[in-house]
Amino acid sequence: MPPAGRRIGDDFVDDSDSDVSITGLDEEPSRSKAKGKGKAIDRKKKDQGKGKAKDQAYAWEATYTRSWDTVQEDEAGRLEGAVQDLIARGRRRRLLAPAAAIRRTIIRHLVLVLDLSSAMMDRDMRPTRFDLMLQYAREFVTEWFDQNPLGQIGIVGMRGGLGERIGEMSGNPQDVLKAILERHKLLPNGEPSLQNAVEMARSSMSHLPTHSSREIVVIFGSLTTCDPGNIHDTLDECVKDRIRISIVALAAEMKVCRELCDKTGGQFGVAMNEGHFKDLLFELIPPPAQRAVARTGGGPAADLMIMGFPMRLPDTSPPSLCVCHSQMKSEGFLCPRCLAKVCDVPTDCDICGLMIVSSPHLARSYHHLFPVKPYSAVMTLDDTPEPSKRCHGCAVAFKEMPSTMLGASGEGMSFYGRYRCSECHNDFCTDCDVFVHDVVHCCPGCGK
Amino acid sequence: MDKPSHLSVIVDLSPTQWAFCAQSTAPPGLPLQTFLSQLLAFLNAHIACKDENTLAVFGAFPGQSVMLYSSTGEAMTSTTEATDPNTYRPFKTLDSTVMSSIAERFNSYDVTEEEEPIGLVGCLTKALCYINRTISVVSASAQGTEGATRSIDPRILVLSVSPDQSSTYIPIMNSIFSAQKLKVTIDVCKVFGADNVFLQQAAHLTGGAYVQIERTDALLQYMMMSFLPPPAIRQLISVPTQDRVDFRAACFCHKRIVEIGFVCSVCLSIFCQPVPVCSTCRTKFPIKTLQRLNASRPLATTPSTPGTPRPLTQKNGAALPRPG
Ligand SMILES: [Zn+2]
Ligand SMILES: [Zn+2]
Ligand SMILES: [Zn+2]
Ligand SMILES: [Zn+2]
Ligand SMILES: [Zn+2]
Ligand SMILES: [Zn+2]
Repeated sequence: MPPAGRRIGDDFVDDSDSDVSITGLDEEPSRSKAKGKGKAIDRKKKDQGKGKAKDQAYAWEATYTRSWDTVQEDEAGRLEGAVQDLIARGRRRRLLAPAAAIRRTIIRHLVLVLDLSSAMMDRDMRPTRFDLMLQYAREFVTEWFDQNPLGQIGIVGMRGGLGERIGEMSGNPQDVLKAILERHKLLPNGEPSLQNAVEMARSSMSHLPTHSSREIVVIFGSLTTCDPGNIHDTLDECVKDRIRISIVALAAEMKVCRELCDKTGGQFGVAMNEGHFKDLLFELIPPPAQRAVARTGGGPAADLMIMGFPMRLPDTSPPSLCVCHSQMKSEGFLCPRCLAKVCDVPTDCDICGLMIVSSPHLARSYHHLFPVKPYSAVMTLDDTPEPSKRCHGCAVAFKEMPSTMLGASGEGMSFYGRYRCSECHNDFCTDCDVFVHDVVHCCPGCGK
Repeated sequence: MDKPSHLSVIVDLSPTQWAFCAQSTAPPGLPLQTFLSQLLAFLNAHIACKDENTLAVFGAFPGQSVMLYSSTGEAMTSTTEATDPNTYRPFKTLDSTVMSSIAERFNSYDVTEEEEPIGLVGCLTKALCYINRTISVVSASAQGTEGATRSIDPRILVLSVSPDQSSTYIPIMNSIFSAQKLKVTIDVCKVFGADNVFLQQAAHLTGGAYVQIERTDALLQYMMMSFLPPPAIRQLISVPTQDRVDFRAACFCHKRIVEIGFVCSVCLSIFCQPVPVCSTCRTKFPIKTLQRLNASRPLATTPSTPGTPRPLTQKNGAALPRPG
């Protein structure tokens, strides 16, 4: 699916509830609702007066109105009215975001805690909470490594009143995925113990260097926790260790869960249905802004690290021994300092100790540092002596006449469908505005 | 396999580099005129391959990036014969549109002025914007049938003669990642000059081919054999693969291309020497680290430098034995 389409899909969800989600506080429930009833947007607008409770989608209700897939495709076909509203929303959100480069913690360490208690066999999410959790956890790991290439993930399970180490901390997505691959090894049973699991996660992160972030993400389906001691002591320890705890609850809000998250600067959310569950989980993927960590006491200390960028040998090169496993291999990476051959990056060179990373790994996070400034919507062409006829990005022709089809929430949208870069003063169409800011992160006009 | 394909060609049109190329004797060079006639033959071949094939040509001029031609009619010059809507995409339209827009730009250059770096980033991003728009239109019109969303196989071919511009490191990397997201293959044909680090990475990361032309007089044959078949067919024929991929990066401070860099742990900015404050995120680094790094620098070539900082001591990591 093209990313632009996905983005639009996400915004669409916000959109259908423009009247209730202004505060942003109740945005989460309304998101989930719209997920379920994506298609029903027009009808819903009419009977909005009939009360919110009626619109609230139960998970079972959502199964036979799962039409958000179709909705997305409709959008690509330019359903002007509704589409414009949601694009406007995305634009406004972008304008609100701080333009200055935020400091982000990019070397992340995360322990994913999976609830494997019997409550996970509940069928209120399809096929079961457990199967859905496994599926999303796998997608989460893949996407997380994509966005945090130098990070590491460990997996801990909660089952039978104990914490269970399922996957060791690893920087290799394949290792992590292998740990949660086999369903039969993870079958739920017994009670969960939040304290045991958090303690186990905490101990597996205790040795980490100071400049990395430590996070725990808990997927919690139960309404009880069976702890050996006082969980508030564990909480205090986590605060002291600067561990950030985020919890995605599948059943209902528990006070202790909320407290764990609030005190450590993490996020807490209760999933309303499948789609919302995924949204909540995937919100935890982008590197957190540093100030969120700062609240809990300064965040990890910064440091300057020395790294080497290797040369990759193709699989047609003459075989030679690698220094990591002493195996004859053709492909590999050459350490730039000592020219030893290692099998995979990122790693530390076994000969000279240099940290070897492939530079694209680092570069993947640079768009967080240098975001493209938001384009301004062109409201009038009177002060432009010679307006360009075509979009500077994709060369599509601009509309001659201002559009009158903007919806009620179309503020911030241009009547001409033109958006202007403040640096290079080129005009872009709506599609390119979205694409440049969400995908390319580089203005075609000024190259910044 | 029998899908129509879209090709966006980015032509490096730096007058200085082409002058070098034309004068070069070892290896034998190639005048721009000859190059363009071979290029046009190749472009004609692409649109002739299949009726639904689409084509866009972008020119990377000094400090400028221009769409020279597109088969959907976005870039038409004022020449009357080229705008005839009744012509069925003849080769002539393509040739005259491309040639006249190139001539137009070249005539406006002031030879005495120093040449700006070419607009390669502009071309890449414009090509991506264009592909992004055409993909969404196609998927909308072809919805319903399974897999129809990828009915066009988009790819970008970069014909390069200029050396790396290290100042464009971040924008080029960002373009590469967006190409990955759009599943666009980037092929690189290095017509003249030394290897291009960033374009090597572009081809490697998007699954394209990086071909360094050894005999410029055979350019057309190189292009026909390597870049005409869409990526799906290339698995069957043997397209020249990349030898080595250089993963060097450009430092943020002097835009030098470095193989060993000093990296800020907060934002991953790369510097070519130890700095007290990160210029990107304003993080101050501990004095101790700086002293240690500075002390170890002159000795950095000896493998057993004591005190070389190893902040991420993850001996496990990727060094774990893996199956296979
Ligand atoms: Zn090895
Ligand atoms: Zn080494
Ligand atoms: Zn556009
Ligand atoms: Zn700009
Ligand atoms: Zn530098
Ligand atoms: Zn920094």
